[in-house]
Amino acid sequence: MAEIKTTDPTATEAGEEKDWTAAKAFFDSLKTNKPRPPKPQYAVTIAVSSRSLFNMVAEGKIYKEDGVEKYVTYQQEHDNEPLMPGVAFPLVKALMNVNARLRRLYPDSDELFDVILMTNNHAQVGVRLINSINHYDLTIERFCMTGGESPIGYLKAYMTNLYLSKDGEKVIEAIEEGIAAATMFASEDVENQLSDTQLKVAFDGDAVLFSESEIIVKQHGLDTSFEHEKEFENKPLAQGPLKCFLEALGMLQRKFYAKNERMTCPIRTYLVTSRSAASSGVRVLKTLRSWGLEIDEALFLAGAPKGPLLQKIQPHIFFDDQMFHIEGAKELGTIAAHVPYGIGQKYNKGIFIEQPAKDMM
Amino acid sequence: MDSMVRNPDVKQRDAAQAVVVAVSSDAIFDPEVEQVHGATEPLRKGDAFSFMKAIQVVNERLLTMNSDETLLFDVILLSNDSEEKHSRIIASAKHYGLDIGRFCFCNKEDSIESLQSNNVKLFLSTDTNDVCKALQKGVPAALLYRPTDPHHQTEDQLKVVFSGDVIGSSEEMLHGLREQGFTETQLQGFKTAKGSVKEFAVLMGEMRRRFGLEGSPLCTGLMTVWSSRNVCASALKTLRGWGLLVDEAFCLAGAPRSPILNLVQPHILCLDGLYHMEGFTGMS
Repeated sequence: MAEIKTTDPTATEAGEEKDWTAAKAFFDSLKTNKPRPPKPQYAVTIAVSSRSLFNMVAEGKIYKEDGVEKYVTYQQEHDNEPLMPGVAFPLVKALMNVNARLRRLYPDSDELFDVILMTNNHAQVGVRLINSINHYDLTIERFCMTGGESPIGYLKAYMTNLYLSKDGEKVIEAIEEGIAAATMFASEDVENQLSDTQLKVAFDGDAVLFSESEIIVKQHGLDTSFEHEKEFENKPLAQGPLKCFLEALGMLQRKFYAKNERMTCPIRTYLVTSRSAASSGVRVLKTLRSWGLEIDEALFLAGAPKGPLLQKIQPHIFFDDQMFHIEGAKELGTIAAHVPYGIGQKYNKGIFIEQPAKDMM
Repeated sequence: MDSMVRNPDVKQRDAAQAVVVAVSSDAIFDPEVEQVHGATEPLRKGDAFSFMKAIQVVNERLLTMNSDETLLFDVILLSNDSEEKHSRIIASAKHYGLDIGRFCFCNKEDSIESLQSNNVKLFLSTDTNDVCKALQKGVPAALLYRPTDPHHQTEDQLKVVFSGDVIGSSEEMLHGLREQGFTETQLQGFKTAKGSVKEFAVLMGEMRRRFGLEGSPLCTGLMTVWSSRNVCASALKTLRGWGLLVDEAFCLAGAPRSPILNLVQPHILCLDGLYHMEGFTGMS
C-alpha cells in the first residue's frame, strides 16, 4: 500500500514510531474495546467536513445572519444536542462497516478506511461535533479544527486520499494541491434504501477517472470525440483525480477475495458513463485493465440520462465532473459529489461559466 | 547570585499583574556565532525572534485598547553568558527594539532560583532538557517551538498551543498507562506538569478574552497526540473551565505530529510531560 501514500523523507521516523506506540498503548488500555485508528501510512484516509458529515443548515443561517460570535455561542449552548446526519453520513457508516469486516479477517492490519474530520470551524464548536460523533458511535478519532484558517494544508499533513466538503472553493483548492476531492450535494428528500452491508461507489469516467477526451468533447463535439477514441483505442487515457481512490478501493476488495469472500465483498464499484460501449467504451476498459484496476460494473449510457440508473444502484456516493449530471442524480435521490477537474467544470449544459459549484444548503 | 538589569528603553510593567515570561538568551540571539573578543556588532537573530515580535504585537494591541492595561507580557531575558557578553546582549536588544523589560545575568546553576524569586509565570527555552529541569523543580516551563523554516513563522500573531493528552485524561486513564510501561516517575511528571500548565492557561484565557474571535493577535490551540477524541473533548472542556476558550484543536490519535506542527507553527508549546518519554529527542 506504500505506493498510495508518498513518504516525507524529512519526517523523523523515531519520533513518529514513538507517537504511534503511545497511541497503540492508549487504545489498548481502554476498557471500551474501541478500535484503534489505523496507522495513517497504510490507511485509506477520507477527510470529511463538518457540514457534510452533519446537517448544519440552521446553524449556518445563524452564522450568515448574526456573525461568528453568535454562531459559536449558539453551538456552545447546544453542546449536548447531537446534530442531525448530513449528506456524507451514510457513506461514513458504510466505510465503518467495511472496516468491521476487514478487522475480522485481518485483525493486525492497518489497511483500513480512516475517516477524519477536517473543518475550519472554531474549536469550541468541536465539543458539539465530538458529542454528535459519540451519539452515532462513529469511528472518527482524528480531527482538525482550524478556527477559521483554511484546512487544505492539513489534508496533506494527514495523508488524505479523498476530501469531501460542501464548499466548492475548498474542493478546488484541494484538487490543485493534488488531493482527490469532491463537493457533496444533498439529495432531494426522496425515499432511498441504501445498503447497510455493502459500500457502493459510483464513478463517472471522464474528468473523474480519465482526464483527456472530455476536453475534446467540450471543444469539438461528440462526433470528433468518437473518432479520436477509435484512433487512440489502444492508448491509455490520462489519469483523472479519482483514479487513485478507485485503486485504493480495489486494493481493499482484493483483501476480501484473498479470503474467499468475493461473493459477499462489502465494496462494489460502478462506472456510470455517457460514453457508448460500441464507440468509446473499449478504450475505457482497456485503460482500466492497463492500470490493473477492476471495476465491478461498467454501464455505458450512450448519452442517456444517468438519474434513473443511479436510482436503481443506490450508491453511497456518485462522483461526476458535470453539474448537469449531479443535478440529475440529486433529483432522483442519489448522493452526488462534484469533482471540479479539467475543462468539464467550466461548462454547464454546454454554456461556459466560471464560478465553482457550491451547495448552499 | 544574579544580576538583574532593567532595560531603560522599555517601560517597566507591573510585575505583580503582568504575565512574566523568562526567555533564554540563546533562544533570542543565535549562540552559534563565533564570539570574537571585543566584538560590538549586534548579535544574530535566534530561533525565538519571531516569538519576541509576536509578543510585542499582543502588548501593543492590548495597550491600544486600554492604555492602563496591566495584563501584559513582561519579558525577562535569562542569560548564563560570560560578563564580557552582557553589554553586547543589552545593545542587541536595543538594536532590534525588543520588548525586554529586564535582563537577568546569572550562572547556569542559579537559573532556577532566579526564576523562582522573580515571580516568573513561564520559563521558555528551545532546549527540552532545560524545560524538563525547570518543570521538575516546580517552575512552569514550556518549549519555544523551533519550526523547520524559522523565517516563515508568523510575527503578526502569537500562537500558543497546549498539549492535551494529560489535561484531558482521567486519573483512571493515567493509571491504565502504567500497565503499558510508563514508570511511576513519568506518571508523576505528567501530574506536576498539569498543575504548572493550569496557571498559565488561566492567564492566556483572560488575555484571549480581551479580543474577539476574529482578528486576534493571540491565537490559542489544543493538540492531543496519542489519545482518543474523548480525551481531546475532555481537555477542551477542562480548558474552558479554566477560562481558556481555544481557537484551534487537533486530535492526532497516533498520526505523525511533525507535519501538523509544521503547519500550526506555534511559538509556545505547553508540553504535559511527553518529553519524559524515554529517548524523546525534541519536537523539531
